Amino acid sequence: MLNYIAGRIASAIPILLLVAIFIFSLVNVTPGDPAVLIAGDNATPAQVEAIRERLRLDEPLPVRFFVWAGNAVRLDLGESIYSSQPVTRLIAQRLEPTFVLATVTLILTILIALPLGVVAAWKSNTWIDRSIMAFAVLGFSVPVFVIGYLLVYVFSVRLKWLPVQGYSPLADGVLGTLRSVALPSLALALVFAALIARVTRAALLEVLSENHIRTARAKGLSTWRILVIHALKNAGVPVITVIGIGFATLIGGVVVTESVFNIPGIGRLTVDAITRRDYPVVQGVILFFSVLLIVINILVDLSYALFDPRVKG
Amino acid sequence: MRVRSLAAVALAAALVLGGSVGANAESVLRLRMNGDINSVDPIATTNFTIRNSAYLIYDTLFALDANYQVQPQMAEGYTLSDDQLTYTITLRDGLRFHDGSPVTATDVVASLERWGKVDGLGKILFSKAASLTAADDKTVVLQMNEPWGQVLPALGKISSNVPFIMPARLAAQDPSDPVKEPIGSGPYKMVVDEWVPGSVAVYEKFADYVPRPEPASMAAGGKVANFDRVEIRYIPDSAQAVDALLNGEIDWIEDVGADLLPLFDGSDTAHIQVSPQAGNSLQLVVNHLNPPFDNPKIRQALQLALEQPPFMQAIFGEQTQLYQICAAVFFCGTPFESDINTDRILHRDVDQAKALLAEAGYDGTPVFLPHVTDIPFHDHAYSVLKPMLEEAGFKVDEQMTDWASVSTRRASKEPVDKGGWNVFFTGWGFVDQSNPMTNVYVAGQGLNGWFGWADSPELRDLRVKFAETTDPGEQKQLAEDMQRVAYDLVPFVPLGQASIAQGVASNLEGFIESPVPFFWNVKRKD
Repeated sequence: MLNYIAGRIASAIPILLLVAIFIFSLVNVTPGDPAVLIAGDNATPAQVEAIRERLRLDEPLPVRFFVWAGNAVRLDLGESIYSSQPVTRLIAQRLEPTFVLATVTLILTILIALPLGVVAAWKSNTWIDRSIMAFAVLGFSVPVFVIGYLLVYVFSVRLKWLPVQGYSPLADGVLGTLRSVALPSLALALVFAALIARVTRAALLEVLSENHIRTARAKGLSTWRILVIHALKNAGVPVITVIGIGFATLIGGVVVTESVFNIPGIGRLTVDAITRRDYPVVQGVILFFSVLLIVINILVDLSYALFDPRVKG
Repeated sequence: MRVRSLAAVALAAALVLGGSVGANAESVLRLRMNGDINSVDPIATTNFTIRNSAYLIYDTLFALDANYQVQPQMAEGYTLSDDQLTYTITLRDGLRFHDGSPVTATDVVASLERWGKVDGLGKILFSKAASLTAADDKTVVLQMNEPWGQVLPALGKISSNVPFIMPARLAAQDPSDPVKEPIGSGPYKMVVDEWVPGSVAVYEKFADYVPRPEPASMAAGGKVANFDRVEIRYIPDSAQAVDALLNGEIDWIEDVGADLLPLFDGSDTAHIQVSPQAGNSLQLVVNHLNPPFDNPKIRQALQLALEQPPFMQAIFGEQTQLYQICAAVFFCGTPFESDINTDRILHRDVDQAKALLAEAGYDGTPVFLPHVTDIPFHDHAYSVLKPMLEEAGFKVDEQMTDWASVSTRRASKEPVDKGGWNVFFTGWGFVDQSNPMTNVYVAGQGLNGWFGWADSPELRDLRVKFAETTDPGEQKQLAEDMQRVAYDLVPFVPLGQASIAQGVASNLEGFIESPVPFFWNVKRKD
């Protein structure tokens, strides 16, 4: 098992290197000069030139890449061009909102998706099943920002129950935090739940047609017990895989959702850094996301062992 | 079991929906400015949002009052010698920086010297000064080489770069290297630990600040901090900011876009406050280096091809209270407003434009229009510009782009096909444009000047004369001459003077009318 984990981590290194080169090149060929953006609308050409020199933007691209990659290995992601703050500090400041948003979303998703998937499988090919699947198709066809704006319109603008935007840190009270992430989590969870519900249904349907379920039925077990204890656990592997892959989608969704709800998380940081041509931050954030995704994939792989005794790694 | 968990879910939902957020008695003022706080150094940048934040943190030696007169602020007063060469400035008692150290004359000298390295007016001041020294802890002596009428206007400058005072140890840093420690002696001190660039900057009341006894008047007078805490929140989306204001999540919006004003109808939470002095007016900047606008006649044809109302209507729609038609270089409603040589600007004449183009031998070189689509103000203006130019006989090559690309491109002095440009829209504000010393369009500095590089020895000469005189009549005459010369030269075409509509929570009072937003004196109504 340890060898397996070590192997997975080692194989991640070339991936990270490729990602780093790709990101660095992509960011640097995008038109727009960060020095000009920093200098502002009314700056003189001389001021712009001075800023470019200070940020070493006048040096050749490969030189800048090696300086950056060398520091990144030592966990020094450089300084933001835009705010002169260390990139690691900027990322650290924004972990909490993103982490809370992702966690609440994941919990909401599972609370919504699993029951729906189970019910749909149980009542397959009835109107209940069809309605649930119609919801699922709708859920992941509608972009998250549309759902987001709809929720804001109903719950914040019209009913004034929840804040329109922003994030209230855990330090100021859990209740405030939950209020501030309620709508964004729901918007994201609806999209995500649609996907998980479909996969749960499909996986369950397959399991329900197997022999041990028939045996369980023959033993006179209750439908509830069969579904949850006997079937759902066996359907776990595909569901967990999709939740894992879905986490990648979730991160993409977080970028959009944080912008829609003005939540100061990693997603917002990414979007803002890109529009500002804040190269060190864009590179740092994408590197961070890449590492995160690789870690999640490893965790998903490891979790298979919990659901399927045949997987021992 | 099931009933209990249902009840728990219902309770949680009720708490989340209805719960009050952490009850603390601190009074907080939440502001949404046009930009984000990404720096604490108002000398290293001219960025207006940084300037606004700096007015909370830092104080100034002198300040401009509502009558556009310069008044002592951190200074107790000053004396000027009979030969008009020696300014002796005394500091008020009890001034303290946020790190607890007293404000001394040495800090003032270091701060002004740093400012004098970057600010346009500051540079001129120091070029005319023999010395600036601290005579003792509380006395600053400015010795001029020659009498200069702009000493107090420079020291009392209200907009970027404002000569803010910081401790000498910080002011020793070169201005190209931004100061990272926000230590001022203003009414609020910044809480650096809570600062999240791109999201929020936090300030708390500075207990040791002693306001002047006079009532507040623009940047001058007593600055009374009525809130324990001020937060500048960055909300990029304007519609969202308005929703947040109407929902009571924030208290103030610097600039509510014209299209969002109807959202305030019928609200008892917030209202609109129009500020004529705080608007950013629209100008079309013309590049004098590239054809066709390297020819003065073709530039004048450009003036004739355009007129202001369509641009203002495209941007402001039915919100006519947000703009005025104004052709004055130094803006309308200012001491130097003038209508001299504004015929071509105010009266569109397509036939005359065509005649001028023919006379100038216009060869059909297309005018390159970088249509900025990501800033609505620009987007609307470019949409109007193209048909107007074509109607007047110009050939136009329009390309869709974004502001980031244009702001890079405008620095290029190359021909258009090598990354250069012909025209672009920008917006300068009231403060800078109303002053002949800071208005970039009458500088005439050619390749050493601002983008567009209009070159005019005559303008440079007029500016020098303007700076030397202290006689208001003479200044007015010189300003008129500048306008006359500038509108023949055409460094830019003015396309309308804008006000801004600020969104204000209706439970606030005490706002100060000013081109720069100030937050002392503001308080909640009882």
